[in-house]
Amino acid sequence: MAAHTTKICLSLGRINGPGFGQYASLNRATYATALSTSNFTGNKGGPDRGGRGAFVRRPRREPGEPRTEKMDSQQDWSAVYPSAASFRPGSVPLPVRMGYPVKGGVPSEKRGNLELIKIPNFLHLTPAAIKKHCEALKPFCTEWPAGLDSDGDLDKHLPIQIETTDYVSAGPSVRNPAARVVTLRVRLSSLNLDEHAREKMLKLLGDRYCKDTDILTITTDSCPLKQQNTDYAMYLLTVLYHEAWKTEAWESEMTRADRREYIWEDSASQQNVLDTLARMGVGEGEAPPREVLLARPEVQQYRDSVTRLKNEGESEGATLRYREAVKKLLSL
Amino acid sequence: MSSTGRGVTSPLCFSSDPNSAPCPALNKYGGAREVHSDRLCNGKDFLRNSTFGFEKFERLSWSQIITNTTITVTDEPDTLFQKVSVLVKGHDRSVLDSYEFFATMAAKELGITLGNVFEPPKDVLRLTLLKSIHIFKKHRVQYEMRTHYRCLELFRLTGSTAQVYLEYIQRNLPEGVAMEVSKIAVAKVPEHILQPMWEEPTADNAPSPTADLKG
Repeated sequence: MAAHTTKICLSLGRINGPGFGQYASLNRATYATALSTSNFTGNKGGPDRGGRGAFVRRPRREPGEPRTEKMDSQQDWSAVYPSAASFRPGSVPLPVRMGYPVKGGVPSEKRGNLELIKIPNFLHLTPAAIKKHCEALKPFCTEWPAGLDSDGDLDKHLPIQIETTDYVSAGPSVRNPAARVVTLRVRLSSLNLDEHAREKMLKLLGDRYCKDTDILTITTDSCPLKQQNTDYAMYLLTVLYHEAWKTEAWESEMTRADRREYIWEDSASQQNVLDTLARMGVGEGEAPPREVLLARPEVQQYRDSVTRLKNEGESEGATLRYREAVKKLLSL
Repeated sequence: MSSTGRGVTSPLCFSSDPNSAPCPALNKYGGAREVHSDRLCNGKDFLRNSTFGFEKFERLSWSQIITNTTITVTDEPDTLFQKVSVLVKGHDRSVLDSYEFFATMAAKELGITLGNVFEPPKDVLRLTLLKSIHIFKKHRVQYEMRTHYRCLELFRLTGSTAQVYLEYIQRNLPEGVAMEVSKIAVAKVPEHILQPMWEEPTADNAPSPTADLKG
């Protein structure tokens, strides 16, 4: 092309020739020297060069053939895309097409395709590259200890679970206030508690205890930092534990109404049953002793149904069971 | 049984949680500056390279980084995670597909047990707004914003492994994708909860207020 030609002529004057034909007239005095004559700065495309036609650009250096032509199929791809970079059509030797096609057409080719540049690509994370990275990262990993492979083992040896959440996102700030929330979970059976301590602990916990799974859950978010919240959760657990073992003087004044669960023994219901059976004349002759009466299966069934009703609340099943128990007891 | 392992200091480690207290053994860049100084002591003028920022760290080849780093093994016990759950959110499902492939492959290569990898249903936020700035109540325009999710569950990781894996995953998080990592760390019952403190026999001369403690 004319721009690259090296004219060894010390001419001063008009230069007209092939490649310059698009210009009507060219009044430029240039020195054509041994170096490349491509330094025309005069009419170099101004802000509005659209007035003259499609390609009004000054002839400049040819971009040359794209790198894809010179790529070997066995090359090291991680050298082409070592880290995240936008899509370069000249560096990716694939006939990729993207975009919504015009009617009767196909998606646009990769050259100058903005859609390909906009979308995040994973060209730097090919399987070979991932393997290389992981090989380099392996020395920094440690092995899981051998004896803790099942959940049961973990529960036995490491019963306390602390759950935390981290957040990664782009935005005006990297901080996320939800990241300070800490949840501590522990099975009560793994703590050293006796009966009284367990009852007191359950009273103290209230809603934080799940009866089905025997798990105590403490969620803390009152402190601004995660570490502070974990410390606070451990502090709460410690205080609960030690308070549960303490017996205050006023605990001896506990009445039946203060109890967490309903107990049938020594209750009004038990007394009622005994009276009713006595009046029915169960056991011919002299009244059999209390223990014998209480050990009868109907009485046991009645006891179960009443306890369930009181503790678990009323439901259709529970009420039906109570009905059956009463019918059996009264031999209806 | 002791469950403590030895923690390994990663040269690339800085906490993925910006709210946590910084680890005292590491400097501001989490040890990476040691890597820098190793490289820069190879005859390069530090002043000339004073703009050698942390961003350029990624453009080094991995072999260059690793030959110059020192792996320090500390004696502080490694935390143990029963479960690490990684949820990624994005607007484009295909980007999340590729990311899932990358993350699962990385987990396999590093020897991490993968649990369930699933796609929670997407959330669509729809807005119906007035098209015109004034009157024309009958003419509206509707926008929607779709958030797709992908969840990976990993089980039984040590603290060092989790740190390495999560940092690797997070450095390669694509643009426009957010991540939530929820970790369940397991720990022993601490010594001060093993025995109730009230039971210490005559630790002090004064009788404790709970002298009538029932066993």
